Amino acid sequence: MYSVILSRLNKQRLYWICQIGGWSLYGIANLIGFSYTRAITQNLLIGEIFQVGFYFFSTHLLRLHIKRRDWFSLAWNRLLPRLVVATFILSFTNSTINYILVTGISSRPTTDLVALIIVSMIVYFLWVLIYFMFHYFESYRKSLQFEAAMHEIELNNLKSQLNPHFIFNALNSIRALVDENPSKSKDAITQLSNILRNSLAIDKKQLVDFTDEIRTVRDYLALESIRFEERLKTDIRIHPDSEMYKVPPMMIQTLVENGIKHGVSNLKKGGKIEITTDVVDSMFVIRIRNSGKYLNGSTDTSGYGLDNTRKRLKLIYGDAASFNIDNEDKNTVLTEIKIPQHSPDTDGNVDGLIQNETI
Amino acid sequence: MRTLIIDDERLARKELTNLLNSFDEIEIIGEAVDADDAFEKINSFTPDLIFLDIQMPGKTGFELLESLEKVPRVIFTTAYDEFALKAFDFNALDYLLKPIQPERLAESINKIVTAAEEADESAGASDESKLTGNDQVFVKDGDKCWFVRLSNIRLFESDGNYIKVYFDNFKPMIHKSLNALDGRLDDRSFFRASRKHIINLSWVEIIEPWFNGGLMVQLKGGEKVEVSRRQAARFKDMMSL
Repeated sequence: MYSVILSRLNKQRLYWICQIGGWSLYGIANLIGFSYTRAITQNLLIGEIFQVGFYFFSTHLLRLHIKRRDWFSLAWNRLLPRLVVATFILSFTNSTINYILVTGISSRPTTDLVALIIVSMIVYFLWVLIYFMFHYFESYRKSLQFEAAMHEIELNNLKSQLNPHFIFNALNSIRALVDENPSKSKDAITQLSNILRNSLAIDKKQLVDFTDEIRTVRDYLALESIRFEERLKTDIRIHPDSEMYKVPPMMIQTLVENGIKHGVSNLKKGGKIEITTDVVDSMFVIRIRNSGKYLNGSTDTSGYGLDNTRKRLKLIYGDAASFNIDNEDKNTVLTEIKIPQHSPDTDGNVDGLIQNETI
Repeated sequence: MRTLIIDDERLARKELTNLLNSFDEIEIIGEAVDADDAFEKINSFTPDLIFLDIQMPGKTGFELLESLEKVPRVIFTTAYDEFALKAFDFNALDYLLKPIQPERLAESINKIVTAAEEADESAGASDESKLTGNDQVFVKDGDKCWFVRLSNIRLFESDGNYIKVYFDNFKPMIHKSLNALDGRLDDRSFFRASRKHIINLSWVEIIEPWFNGGLMVQLKGGEKVEVSRRQAARFKDMMSL
């Protein structure tokens, strides 16, 4: 809100600077022009000051009229005739008064009226042109800015967050573990703090190295293994080229967490989480398999997290990335993400998103 | 109090057991690892108190409570289930957030022990197998839940495969048969007025003669229930006591 008011004040000030400065310059330029052909008399000076003053006030009135009638919202075919009529009325009035005054003062017509009107119309038209161009440029800039801001907000909303349920369950398990297995409980505290640190860091990053993300996932799975004990089995197989890729932070973690929450944790005997990565045609393929059944959209909150992931990928990569979740067989859900490689110049694109924050 | 711990995580059960060891009032009679296990153990051990985790594989803690005919005193344990606990805005509910604070645990136990002592005094000797006014049932309707003491229930009304339970300003439905319920209720407090109704005798306000030698009973909540001719004589007997 503050910045809106500020920019309005700035715009107001800019208008007055341009209006006063522009017309003064116009007058001075005119006088300099005259000085080559004739002597600058007092009458000529008064006439010129009057001219500039008239231009100044009449264009200001025109601006008020444009704003009041909201001519900015008109289409070209409706705007143009209005502008022509308006400039004609103004230049006719201006020139006629000028003509009468000049003839009155110097008692001889310097130029004929039609020429005066045409010249004046050109001047008005230039004013209108500058005024409208500035306006269109400004609104274009604003819409870009708006779009970038919306984009940013949307992306922030879609960011994965650590599930509080997980944090407190982990802490509860650790509490019990302190007596039973002190060294394991120490490890667990380290793992939990790694995850917390990462989840705080993601506010600042659009993408993170896959290596960092998978480290978080490993910590996460280690903690869940403490909680679920023999009910959770994990298997992670990473393609050696994976480290070249970046992924949206906490995305894999969220999907793995989904797999546990909606899959493994609902099975009395427990189940398995399997993560594999692959590089196919320079696309990075991440596959997460979990025991359980995927009920397509029909149930509860799972849809939200998946929808989020889909939107997030779309915002960051456009159509270049893909996301899929389905039942691979009767007891396994397969989640698959394909992410394009980031060569240094496409990296710039993604950085562009981050730069938007500073606008 | 004979206590059953219900949680699918071994460490969570262990942690709670450790915490409960310092309470003399609490005697842990067993542990259950999921809702089905708990269902069996509750019915065979009839614990006075259960510690119940809400999220478990298979059925949730709520589903377990719904399946029970007679619900022991319950303390919910949960890591972070604001959503699930919101269902209970209406009545005092005991829940503990994991990791459990020993002080909070002590408060909950004190509260429950006090309530149990009061209930014991007022109940006197009663037939153990029957449900009395002091027993509570768990009622869930849509996303709202209640623990209702039977003495607060004015009327059970059968409605298809469901029973409408009238108490306070609510009349949620439970999925049970009226005949089965009738057999379990203490007939000194509850009376089968007709094929469709069981009324709580302590809520009866007005009794009027009705057609065919039947009776029309108005309850303190305003509901009117017709007592069939066949039952009217028995009803008069009971009320004249």
